[in-house]
Amino acid sequence: MMGKNNTKWIVIILLLLWAIYALWPTYRFNTLSQKEREKLENKGKLASIQHRAIRLGLDLKGGMHLTLEVDFPYLVEQLAKNKDPQFETILNEVRKELNISTEDFLTILERKFKEHNVPLNKYWGQRGESDGKILSFLDKEGKKAITRSMQILTNRIDQFGVSEPSITKMGSRRILVELPGIEKPEQARNLIKSTALLEFKLLKDPEVFSNTIKKIDRALAKEMGVSMAEEDTTKKKETAKQKESKDKVVSVSELFGEQGVTSNDTSGKAKSDTSILVDERIFKKNPFIALLRSAGGGAREVSVPVENIAAVNRILAREDIKKLMPPDAEMLWSSETFRIGDKQYKELFLVKKDAELTGKYLTDAKVNIGQGVQNAGRPVVNFTLNRRGGRIIGRVSKANINRRLAIVLDNKVVSAPRIQSQLGMSSQITGIPTMDEAKMIAIVLRAGALPTPVKITQETTVGPTLGKDSIKRGSYSTILGFLLVIIFMVFYYKMSGIIADVALVLNLLILAAVLAQFRFTLTLPGMAGIVLTIGMAVDANVLVFERIREELNVGKTVKAAIDAGYSRAFRTIFDANLTTLMTAIVLYQFGTGPIRGFAVTLSIGIVVSMFTALFVTRVIFNTITSRRTLKKLSI
Amino acid sequence: MQFFQTPNIDFISKRKIAFILSGLMFLIGIVSLVLHKGPNYGIDFKGGTSIVIKFDGKVTVPQIRSALGKADLGKSEIKQFGSTNEFLIYVAQQKELSAVEMAQKVEKTVGEQIKDVKYEIEKIDVIGPRIGEELRKAAVLAIFIALIMILIYVGWRFEVVFAAGAIAALFHDVLITLGAFSILNYEISLKEIAAFLTIVGYSLNDTIVVYDRIRENLKIMRGDNLATIINASINQVLSRTVITSLTTFTVVLILFLFGGKVLHGFAFAMLLGVVVGTYSSIFVASPIVYEWQMRHGGKRGLKMAKKKRS
Repeated sequence: MMGKNNTKWIVIILLLLWAIYALWPTYRFNTLSQKEREKLENKGKLASIQHRAIRLGLDLKGGMHLTLEVDFPYLVEQLAKNKDPQFETILNEVRKELNISTEDFLTILERKFKEHNVPLNKYWGQRGESDGKILSFLDKEGKKAITRSMQILTNRIDQFGVSEPSITKMGSRRILVELPGIEKPEQARNLIKSTALLEFKLLKDPEVFSNTIKKIDRALAKEMGVSMAEEDTTKKKETAKQKESKDKVVSVSELFGEQGVTSNDTSGKAKSDTSILVDERIFKKNPFIALLRSAGGGAREVSVPVENIAAVNRILAREDIKKLMPPDAEMLWSSETFRIGDKQYKELFLVKKDAELTGKYLTDAKVNIGQGVQNAGRPVVNFTLNRRGGRIIGRVSKANINRRLAIVLDNKVVSAPRIQSQLGMSSQITGIPTMDEAKMIAIVLRAGALPTPVKITQETTVGPTLGKDSIKRGSYSTILGFLLVIIFMVFYYKMSGIIADVALVLNLLILAAVLAQFRFTLTLPGMAGIVLTIGMAVDANVLVFERIREELNVGKTVKAAIDAGYSRAFRTIFDANLTTLMTAIVLYQFGTGPIRGFAVTLSIGIVVSMFTALFVTRVIFNTITSRRTLKKLSI
Repeated sequence: MQFFQTPNIDFISKRKIAFILSGLMFLIGIVSLVLHKGPNYGIDFKGGTSIVIKFDGKVTVPQIRSALGKADLGKSEIKQFGSTNEFLIYVAQQKELSAVEMAQKVEKTVGEQIKDVKYEIEKIDVIGPRIGEELRKAAVLAIFIALIMILIYVGWRFEVVFAAGAIAALFHDVLITLGAFSILNYEISLKEIAAFLTIVGYSLNDTIVVYDRIRENLKIMRGDNLATIINASINQVLSRTVITSLTTFTVVLILFLFGGKVLHGFAFAMLLGVVVGTYSSIFVASPIVYEWQMRHGGKRGLKMAKKKRS
């Protein structure tokens, strides 16, 4: 009997030693002074200590948690051939459905094509190929796109310099990105969201541009002529205002009738971009030109006040207006917003649809400070093309000297320099407003373009202050709860209470050690789970002790009462804890991030409490009762 | 020390009062839920954008409201959050802007409009509409799965009628807590769902302790009727029930008082859950077993009691 108990003591002591070993890095890492920290960092040892310390969740250490969704409709559109209007219609329906349904993308795609009675092989795969085969092909391509996207994102984040980021796949079309310690969420969002599709597109001649604008203008004026008469009455009321400034605020529907307003807007609530700024003097005759300006002198052909951008976009999105544009051209916005006086503008460009060159020929990109008159002191990105890219740009530039070449990143014109001479393998992007942005552009260019755009569908960002506050509050609650419960147990159960308290201390130590050893993440709800464990873990001891009291009341000896108490209570404790454990496991399965942290600490706490409250306290009782026969038990 | 010697309270005869009381709480909760048109979902489930901003100086809700008004962000809610100059701004999802763009817009607007006071963004939560719906479905599924697992386990370890009693008690606890949330118009987010599931676990823990004693007593107290056995069982474990509830309630109260605003809803749900769960394990779970036995299996008695006899 005694020998058996000794073996049990050895088990407990070994476990205790392991717990201390597992928790040592956590203790060390959190008690380091700034000086020691730097010293260890220089030796390269800090990272290994940090790695073995208890990992804190983003809600405690601050940082960003993002869920990205890969744009599958874009991907299948890229893969499709023989695209026709019907294809566009079906795909748009799929997009709409995807926004409200929780179904899988391919399921929706398959159903929509079936509804329209169109076989998938009309657009993908070979003639006569079965839908199933094409779907599995698209599925494979989708998986490839996700893998590639994750690689590129990893690359970008590494270069951006985030310590211990995590990029994981979630479900079939989502990517989970965790960036601890991010200070500027805006920057991180741009880093991730940017598709980094770099294109070089030639600008159409200014004459073509102005002709196109005039055409659109005429079409709109004609349409408006119909509704103009009735509107005159409302205008007169505002004559006082008109005298003050030539710019006047009108609503989009006033300008273009309900047609000009996209279907998204039928909610009827006023949105910011339904009121716009027009040049009052000309807007009756030239409704489109009234939205535009020639601000900024000769360098900029067409500028648009930011208030008008949404209106211009709507006009340009109209099918009848699209037909008025040269078939090989498209309009693009500048990425930069510039300020003249107190108004902000973006520039509008008419460029050739087909890119002369894309970023796939790019080999390197670096940030520099610009030289020369125009860009002195401003950030620029120098990039190098591979030999093939160099040849292409050389040929294009030679043939188009004196024309402007737009450098387009993610469908926005970063700059559009005039080609002065033949270009070579290395070139420069100018017109970037800030150094931060230049760095970002260089990083995304180096890391490469994402195969499809990604959308951020969920974001949680916790600032460092809130994180620290949460740690403080979590620890405070844990300590306070712990003290109260410990005191209560001694108060209520005397010496036996002390034994239960020993078990509770051991429980917490092992719980923390398991977190550290198996690299679980501790979150704020996780800390709540620990606090809850403290309250609930004593339950096993309470059950046993109450039982022992009952047995003592019946008149059993101390030893017999302890034996009976433990054996009778065991089944109850086991059943009760197992069901709690089941709910914790369900919670783990369903929860994300912080909630998982809660499920983890609660589950570990339950399992460990079974060990400490039953095994450890029993061993202590056995040791006490085996030394001498107790007449009375302090319980 | 001991709070009480094994008491001798006749719980079973008071079951009608308990049923009426529970029914009343149920009813109030359901009426409130109907009046509020369902639970007040937090951002996790309804989607949208929420930002917690802490200002260095004095800023008021109307100030923020007028600042945001200039940006025309649609439906927005501004609440004081934690300390005096800390605010939670919630904006609903709009069709034209993605939720992330909304977050950017709010950040920018506040920065531009309230220039003279320094501020810090403490927390940003952005949930796309579909994610919210998915999470809602997942939450319901999780609770459902947990209940099914419990039903199977308790049915296997005890008897089906016990499982039914346990499940009834769990529904009772969660629905009453849900009702209380609705009455107080507290939001229900993922953390609260976690609390509900924990309540399920905790309440079940209590219930099983009572059941276990009933199971034991069915074998020992062979001559007695079911009411006596159940009463004796509840009384025997009563001091344990009270002590464990007390320690758990204490730690949850600490969380509620000192755990900070992030855990407030969670701790509140737990606080209610501990009280209601303790109550239900005594006044709902076992009386239901009794009622059922009296109506359907009165003559036959429980199988567990029979086993011993044969």
